[in-house]
Amino acid sequence: MLTTALIVVPFAGAILVWVLPLSRESTSGLALLVALAEVGLWLGSARNFDFGSEVPQYATTQQWFDELGISYAVGLYGFQFWLVGLTIVVGACVVGYASWAERERPRAYFGLLLFLVGSLVGVFAAQDLIVFYVFFEAMLIPIYVLVGVWGGPQRVKATVTFVIYTMVGSLLMLASIIVLGISQGTFSLAEMGTSTNDWVFLGFLAAFAVKAPLLPFHGWLRIAYTEAPPEVSAILSGLVSKAAVFGLVWIVLPHFPEPVEDFRTLVLVLAAATLAYGSVLAFRQPDIRGVLAYSSMGQMGLIVLGIFAVNDLGLDGAVLHSVNHGLVSAGFFLLAGMIEARAGTGVFSELGGMAKGRPYLATLVMILGMFTLAVPGSTNFAAEFAILAGVFDRGWGYAAIGVLAMVLAALYALRLISAILHERRGSAVREDAGDLVGGELILLVPLVAILAVLTAWPAGITERSFPADEPAAFIGSQEGIGTP
Amino acid sequence: MVFGSWLCLLAPLAGFLAILLLGTRITRRQAGALSTFAVFAGFAGAVIAFVDAWGRDAHDRVEVTTAWTWLQAGDFQAGLTLLVDPLSLVMMLVVTGIGGLIVLYSNGYMAGSDEERRYFAYMSFFVFAMLMLVMGGNLLLLLVGWGLVGLASYLLIGFDHHRPAAVAAAKKAFVVNTIGDAAMALALFLAIAKIGSLDYGTVFSAAEDGVLSDTVVTLLALGLLAGAVAKSAQIPLHTWLPDAMEGPTPVSALIHAATMVTAGVYLICRTHPIFEAAPDIQHLAALLGLATLLVAGLVALVQWDIKRVIAYSTMSQIGYMFLGAGIGAYGFAMFHLVTHAFFKALLFLAAGLVIHHLDGEQDIRKMGGLRRFMPYTHATFLVGSLALVGIPIFAGFWSKDAILASALAYGGSLGWVLYVGGLIGTLLTGLYTFRLYFRVFHGEPAGKAREAAAHHGEGARSMLVPVGVLAVGSTVVGLLAIPGVWEPFETWLEPAVEPLVHPSTGEEWLTSLVAVVLGVLGILLARRAFTAGRELVPDGAVRDTLEHKLWFDELYDAVVSRPAQLVALLLRDRVEAPVVHGGLDEVAEGTLRGAAITGSAQTGLLRTYALAFTVAVAVLTLVFLVTR
Repeated sequence: MLTTALIVVPFAGAILVWVLPLSRESTSGLALLVALAEVGLWLGSARNFDFGSEVPQYATTQQWFDELGISYAVGLYGFQFWLVGLTIVVGACVVGYASWAERERPRAYFGLLLFLVGSLVGVFAAQDLIVFYVFFEAMLIPIYVLVGVWGGPQRVKATVTFVIYTMVGSLLMLASIIVLGISQGTFSLAEMGTSTNDWVFLGFLAAFAVKAPLLPFHGWLRIAYTEAPPEVSAILSGLVSKAAVFGLVWIVLPHFPEPVEDFRTLVLVLAAATLAYGSVLAFRQPDIRGVLAYSSMGQMGLIVLGIFAVNDLGLDGAVLHSVNHGLVSAGFFLLAGMIEARAGTGVFSELGGMAKGRPYLATLVMILGMFTLAVPGSTNFAAEFAILAGVFDRGWGYAAIGVLAMVLAALYALRLISAILHERRGSAVREDAGDLVGGELILLVPLVAILAVLTAWPAGITERSFPADEPAAFIGSQEGIGTP
Repeated sequence: MVFGSWLCLLAPLAGFLAILLLGTRITRRQAGALSTFAVFAGFAGAVIAFVDAWGRDAHDRVEVTTAWTWLQAGDFQAGLTLLVDPLSLVMMLVVTGIGGLIVLYSNGYMAGSDEERRYFAYMSFFVFAMLMLVMGGNLLLLLVGWGLVGLASYLLIGFDHHRPAAVAAAKKAFVVNTIGDAAMALALFLAIAKIGSLDYGTVFSAAEDGVLSDTVVTLLALGLLAGAVAKSAQIPLHTWLPDAMEGPTPVSALIHAATMVTAGVYLICRTHPIFEAAPDIQHLAALLGLATLLVAGLVALVQWDIKRVIAYSTMSQIGYMFLGAGIGAYGFAMFHLVTHAFFKALLFLAAGLVIHHLDGEQDIRKMGGLRRFMPYTHATFLVGSLALVGIPIFAGFWSKDAILASALAYGGSLGWVLYVGGLIGTLLTGLYTFRLYFRVFHGEPAGKAREAAAHHGEGARSMLVPVGVLAVGSTVVGLLAIPGVWEPFETWLEPAVEPLVHPSTGEEWLTSLVAVVLGVLGILLARRAFTAGRELVPDGAVRDTLEHKLWFDELYDAVVSRPAQLVALLLRDRVEAPVVHGGLDEVAEGTLRGAAITGSAQTGLLRTYALAFTVAVAVLTLVFLVTR
């Protein structure tokens, strides 16, 4: 029941915010209250969560269309618990940012944000393909509107680009879902057996490759991340991309063991290429969000490397890194918004010298920059290390590209830090542009605090992502549970 | 031992966090005091652990404690584990002891500078990171410490972040070190794949038992060596160290002389079973050390910046340590690490007094005659110089000569090459060290030195006391290893790292004789050139090459940096922009146009999609079902 509650609360909040004719302050206050209640609910669910359990926790299964084998089935395994938690925490920060940024038409805006959070929780909690699909599509609608209405000058183009890509991905996935569900006689992920149909596999793969995105399905990334309001970019890069992680880990790997085997090299090569390509391009971007966008792309490539290593190190690392990357990139996009609010631009040639007299801003840019480049000892480092150690088993070349990307990450992250903070004051940086204020710090400090805890104890997540901490065995055991 | 070790590790961390969290609630002076106290508290912890270990039986001086599991996935796990044994204890004492003195000195040196709090926070953080490196009980924590000291180094080199040169130097240091980290990481992945663990014990016994193939062991050693070479600024990954002198002088003393840059030597000694299983790689370490000590010694002859001369000297001395570790003279390499920490920190701090006195002047052509105005600085700098050249009884005499004697005892063509090369290095050391000494302290004052003559006092007491302590240390610490007479240092280390070579007492004294003669010869030649007003290396092609540091920077720029940037630019402008976005723009515009034709743009767009979507799903479903 608790999982359902986690899904319902944001939706209910969204409707309340839409319907109630409240003032701007009351609207943002109500939205924030809902987001915080959601955080409380999630923390409460952590208390009795059995990470070792072989069955999903707080599960609900309700027959929906009996004869088609469709049911409303939700519930959480460890890795889902972390993805949901990531969504809820980042969601709260984003709502906080939006109330601070004073968006126009606040009721619609906050309604859409909460709707988006609810859909994401639904995606990560799904135990049925149709439930997954419904939430997956539901998640896209608010994004279209949020980017298309509240975005930057090129918002229409950004939206259309994003719509085209996601529609193509979605329709491939829908076709795959229908075929898979009908041929299996059920849409329940737990009861479903395995499939050897390469085309269905590729349909899913394409959808998730767009969402991650993997090379060469990333055409929407740059413009969407740049034109969206910063808090929406934070959700896009931090959370929405993780729908791909969930789909690959929980739909593709368990139900397509043979195609995964057959296409592994292809996917690993694409993922490694994504990692290298994103990192190289991040190094040459002229503005903050450009660096963050391509850095995100590279990191998603890394996560997919871990997933398709299909071993314990790779999978645990991928889950941990999903959480890390979600926190870091969301935090950094919010920070980028705060910087843009001060300078009026995110272009490096007009920034610089912001460290002087702005200790909080400098400290946060530095800390998030260090997590971005996965400084050794950080939780990002732990995750990257696990992923690359895992994929080393599949071929040392992938790991070599991975460590090369680590060097590139150092380059682009240092360039980003220096361009914002160091050397001479940029033309767009006014002398009296202030330091971060309390309302901004309260959004970023929790994210950094969670990263700090994870840095001390990455095993907190890696031990608690899959039953018995044997991800590969667990994923493998999902084959054919329901087949006679 | 356990309590002392944790105190040693955590006190500097606590200092860092306290300064960070207290922010502007404490004054700059208080931040300095807090940092100093934290590092000395760490030293106290190290001493407690040391005394405890000293009281135990020689083979019972090892403690391994795990706080919690840091990273786990399936069967692989790595704990937050500390390993305290004679080797790490030596490093702990050096890092916190010398570190404490240098932090104390910083209180005076940095007084009045902007953002002192940030400085002391970083210094405390560095000490913590360095301790993590030397106390980590598995290769993963070693790598963590390895990266964190690189981070601290980056932060401190670029401390004056409004100066572009400092920012550039910081980035260069970080990137070169990250290359080393990356190589080490690859070696660790290999270890996980082949051994399944990163615990020292498991990995070492796998290397010793010969269960690993030669290729695997060689690659393991090679990856570790690459990390060591980058961190210790050995050829070919040495180019960052001279630039790192852009950082404040106490930083150069602590990170780029006494501790962090010597981590490579510690690494080889710590993981010696892996290197011994791959003797070719171990010999490579020795040869790289030899090449570095000669090249750095030569380049030091033509430098004009007081700190850069000392920086090249550091590279050169670490070359000796690599040479020693590469032939298995671990104890002597570590001993030279310890003595070098004393006299090199001393030289840097004394140089800092000079720079401070001259309001930031670092060009030795604008110095001279400082002996008269700065007698204390002069005396201590002279002690440091004598120790560096290896004049008896000063510290460098005992340690460097022991390494050379080991090369002699090692024998074979390799041993002889190393021996002769190392002796030539001694001559170079005498030359460049005393060129610097005479230029700074003798002759007539020039430029800033003349203006500063009127200043009184040589620095705050917080600066003079550490310099004095280090000068005493540079004089007496060598006495911990008197060949054939009293050798407690080697006895102490032997249970942890058994050396491969044991030079006889005769070989040691013979080597010392030759080395001292060469060192004194160097000093005399430097003096003659100075009194004659000549440079040691006359103008010409040779000097030109040396002034350009053998063109390494230019080479890397042409071979690595420029092509990399070019590729990135090409990808951005020629691949990413036209192919992905250009193609897509047409699709997007086409869609918008098509939508406009069907009537109102909004509904047209939606209808087109709805129709296309349904048809496409239907077609795809059919296709998938049929091909199944």
